[in-house]
Amino acid sequence: MASIWTVEFRSLSVRPYSSIPTTTTNHRIRITNGISKSLVIRTHQFKQHCFTSIAKWNHQLVTSTPMQHLLLNRNPGTNFAIWVCVAVVVVVFVAAVKGFSRKKERPGSVADLVRRGQLRSDRRGISRPLKYEDPFNNPMVKVSKSNSSVEMCGKVYRLAPVTLTQEEQAVHQRRRSRAYEWKRPTIFLKEGDSVPPDVDPDTIRWIPANHPFATTAMDIDEDFAQRNVNQKHGVPFRIQAEHEALQKKLEALQNEENLNKLVIDPTNVKEIERPFNSNTRLNDHAEKTSLNDQAKEPSSPILDSGPNHFESAPSPGESKP
Amino acid sequence: MLSLHHHHLPSTTNAKPQFPQTTTNLRHSTTFPKTLAPKLKPKPYITKSLLQWNRKPQLSGETPRVVVVTSGKGGVGKTTTTANIGLSLARLGFSVVAIDADVGLRNLDLLLGLENRVNYTVVEVLNGDCRLDQALVRDKRWSNFELLCISKPRSKLPIGFGGKALTWLVEALKARADGSGTGAVSPDFILIDCPAGIDAGFITAITPANEAVLITTPDITALRDADRVTGLLECDGIRDIKMIVNRVRTDMIKGEDMMSVLDVQEMLGLPLLGVIPEDSEVIRSTNRGYPLVLNKPPTLAGLAFEQAAWRLVEQDSMQAVMVEEEPKRGFFSFFGG
Repeated sequence: MASIWTVEFRSLSVRPYSSIPTTTTNHRIRITNGISKSLVIRTHQFKQHCFTSIAKWNHQLVTSTPMQHLLLNRNPGTNFAIWVCVAVVVVVFVAAVKGFSRKKERPGSVADLVRRGQLRSDRRGISRPLKYEDPFNNPMVKVSKSNSSVEMCGKVYRLAPVTLTQEEQAVHQRRRSRAYEWKRPTIFLKEGDSVPPDVDPDTIRWIPANHPFATTAMDIDEDFAQRNVNQKHGVPFRIQAEHEALQKKLEALQNEENLNKLVIDPTNVKEIERPFNSNTRLNDHAEKTSLNDQAKEPSSPILDSGPNHFESAPSPGESKP
Repeated sequence: MLSLHHHHLPSTTNAKPQFPQTTTNLRHSTTFPKTLAPKLKPKPYITKSLLQWNRKPQLSGETPRVVVVTSGKGGVGKTTTTANIGLSLARLGFSVVAIDADVGLRNLDLLLGLENRVNYTVVEVLNGDCRLDQALVRDKRWSNFELLCISKPRSKLPIGFGGKALTWLVEALKARADGSGTGAVSPDFILIDCPAGIDAGFITAITPANEAVLITTPDITALRDADRVTGLLECDGIRDIKMIVNRVRTDMIKGEDMMSVLDVQEMLGLPLLGVIPEDSEVIRSTNRGYPLVLNKPPTLAGLAFEQAAWRLVEQDSMQAVMVEEEPKRGFFSFFGG
């Protein structure tokens, strides 16, 4: 199929400004698509015609009126065509920009995945809770009018009735009670342990010595454990016990340190040399404590034991019962 | 996955339900008028609620309901079921405490996305390192759901008081509302996620339970274990046992490559609490730490878990099961489309 594009520059209707006497020429541009038999002749004619047309066109442009006059005095049909062209160009440009921006988000970005349906925008992360708006109104399930089928999630399923009867259930229970005679183990013993005298041997569960349960040492007795489970308020037992133990330890340490300071430590000579200053410090502290707690007598043993002593300022919560 | 009840059936189980006749209605058994007065004339069947989630379920039984979720075989979906039913119950407005009783291999915290918030466990409570309320991890999504782990993965529970400790815990949770002043209430449900097997962990987990939910898949290995576990539970005095058949594929059932739910029920003889279809979304939600029932839009398995939770609240069981997918009838069905 010999298809050629024949381009003919015929004329372009340009109307010169009326006050300027110029020769009126007609220029048209016509584009036709067709099959030509006399290809060579027409091509030659076309070439010649093109040259002449373009030459005339250039001449016209050079010698004719300025463009503003030309634009102002076009006929309305041409004006409309130009605007249509401009609109088409704008639309093409916008489409190209959109396509470019889509291309930018195409290679695997999250927005692209969401757009393509690979990733749901409302499932990204678990920070935002997903909740049904109404759990009691689910439109995903529809039962047919005859109750013989149900549609769930777009699929239709046939329904069949359950035929299990009470008698059949009882038969199965009897069968199982015969097949599986079982007593709940009440005591767990490691393999190798001796059986306690008052224990039914059927209720013993023998556990291998390397079983995770068997290798666990029980360092807390049952009463304590049960009390811990039932504790609703306050500091947990272990934490409190550790805290108290730490306090005692600290107390003992501080006592020892004070003793060492007083008796052994020869480096505290400066403090010994300046008893006046230290006494004033201690007296200041004693005044503060007496201000805080008026009930205390000023000649309390705090002065003797120093400010870092554990018993210097006992908080109400730390008082032991 | 739906509960179908006849309004005036004398018993829901001693006669074959005449289903799917036109007289069959979707409603709940708790609305049955239990009276010995002679009926003058048969009333027409009334559909109280076409779908179970059109109303809030009525909590039946004595609270807190202590339910152990067990299976015998591992990997059938005990922890998934505990997480999803627990959160479904919380969504329905009930206060729930889920206890992960798997001592060595706990996973419930992962499924719930709470693994970073478990600082204290029951072992620390027993030792006196913390109080019980400090060991309870409150879910931020649904504040009436709390998680309690038995132990950290590497710590060990003392063998002597595994079962006793759980009983103490349940008692302490019951007594929580008594003037603690922290706004804590006694839970409506205590769900215990049981470890696999019938070892000491299993015995520990079932100790405080009053009822059990047996999870099984439609294959013979899981069924054998489920039957054995059911026998042990019955020997232990737990009579209220319902089963959930998990990972059901209707296409395989249709091709007779998988036992149907009714076949499973015939083998075990247990009432059905739910049928959970195989759903790829389960794995996704597990990995995300976001239970399936919170997915939006809901998935097939999530809806099935919701229904199971609903029945658990009302101590109901399924009366009809979905057996296969019906072929679509459209314009192109004539051409095989």
